[in-house]
Amino acid sequence: MIYRLFIALFITSIMLVGCGTNSTEPQEEEQLDIDSFAETLAEDSFDIELDKEAIGEIIQNISSPVEMSALLKGEGIEFNYKFLSSTDNVDEFNTSFKQALNLGVLGADMGYLNMYNKTGAVLNYITAIKELSDELKVGQFFNFETLKRLATNSENIDSLMYMSISAFDKMDSYLRENNRSNISALLVTGVWVEGVYLASQVVKENDNQAIRERVAEQGIVMEQLLLVLDHYKKDKQFFSLISELEKVNSTLSEVKIIEEEGEMEMMEVDGVLMAVSNTKVSIEMSDELLERIISDIENLRAFVINY
Amino acid sequence: MVSFPFKTVKAQCNSSLVTVCSAKLSKDATYLKELRARLKAQKSGQQKPVARFSLLLNKGNHYRFNICNAEEFDSKVVLQLYERNKLLGTSYFAKTGKHYPFFDFICPKTGVYKVLMSFEGGKEGCAVGILSLIKK
Repeated sequence: MIYRLFIALFITSIMLVGCGTNSTEPQEEEQLDIDSFAETLAEDSFDIELDKEAIGEIIQNISSPVEMSALLKGEGIEFNYKFLSSTDNVDEFNTSFKQALNLGVLGADMGYLNMYNKTGAVLNYITAIKELSDELKVGQFFNFETLKRLATNSENIDSLMYMSISAFDKMDSYLRENNRSNISALLVTGVWVEGVYLASQVVKENDNQAIRERVAEQGIVMEQLLLVLDHYKKDKQFFSLISELEKVNSTLSEVKIIEEEGEMEMMEVDGVLMAVSNTKVSIEMSDELLERIISDIENLRAFVINY
Repeated sequence: MVSFPFKTVKAQCNSSLVTVCSAKLSKDATYLKELRARLKAQKSGQQKPVARFSLLLNKGNHYRFNICNAEEFDSKVVLQLYERNKLLGTSYFAKTGKHYPFFDFICPKTGVYKVLMSFEGGKEGCAVGILSLIKK
């Protein structure tokens, strides 16, 4: 439990404001009946439209640097160093645009390393991330000395992962709260590009249905990402990035996602309250289409990591 | 069938609440995001205050929503998960009449989901929700 205590001390020292938006909503039923779970709430119960703040929240969620890596590991895929972006020449990134994108890329790589408990290699990434985040003046959210110390012992992996995610989360919030949302958008774009690149490289070498589907459904994420990036399209560099993303999006749009909506139910399973959905989603994508998607993602990633 | 009581979290409405709540994650859970709700009491004739969050969740992932209430309030938070207007899960299970410290959600499709946090009876309260990913 020592590592949890450590997390507690660390988080207490760096915690910033949360990201929730409080609002007043129509009164909802005080007691929800199990039989009503599958029912749709009244149309006027609340407006689910995505406002600017909501988009910001989604973007923050996209930035999670571990979900894709968790999928890869969960599917039994072996770790592969060759998929990672190099940390050798990060000082060559001499614009905020490239620094922010590659900070995201390296953050995703660090998540990948952490997920596979490759703590030794994490040190190089921590150093590179420090350099880029200092350049962007957000280095204060990383306690690099502590991260380095944690990285020297594989037993600290939970703490290391928690601190890494938390630091990226807070950095992203700080950027958005300080009118630097453009940098935040680039950061999460970098995280996303690297995550989907890792998955696409894995699926290129492994016939894995879950990962194949995860790559195929990235158009859903892309839609949210483009919504945010579109705000900055007047900037030449953003315009180029959006153009690259739209090439991938165009190919992803050929994927057919078929949904068969099912009932929801809640139940206790081994003492755990579970929300279980019977909704079925199937994805139709030919091998040829997958190859084109992978190729587009490789081009996009090259655009991101090139100096 | 196993049930468990709603455990009191010994932390006040500040960053320590997130700290304590995060420390309660099980060994097989990977922290993803914190959701904070600090709401005033519902005023007469007005709607119940609700904290709203948007999340992008991925198909096939097993998520857990842990919740913790601040010790200085006697109110209990109810965390609800929606897809558009459809309620998918909640920390208060009317069938058993219990508040749960967490509930799990196996995501059937990738998309944008909504989380609402409010306090029972529209009371003033402070709570955090922690979204985590359960390892396969």
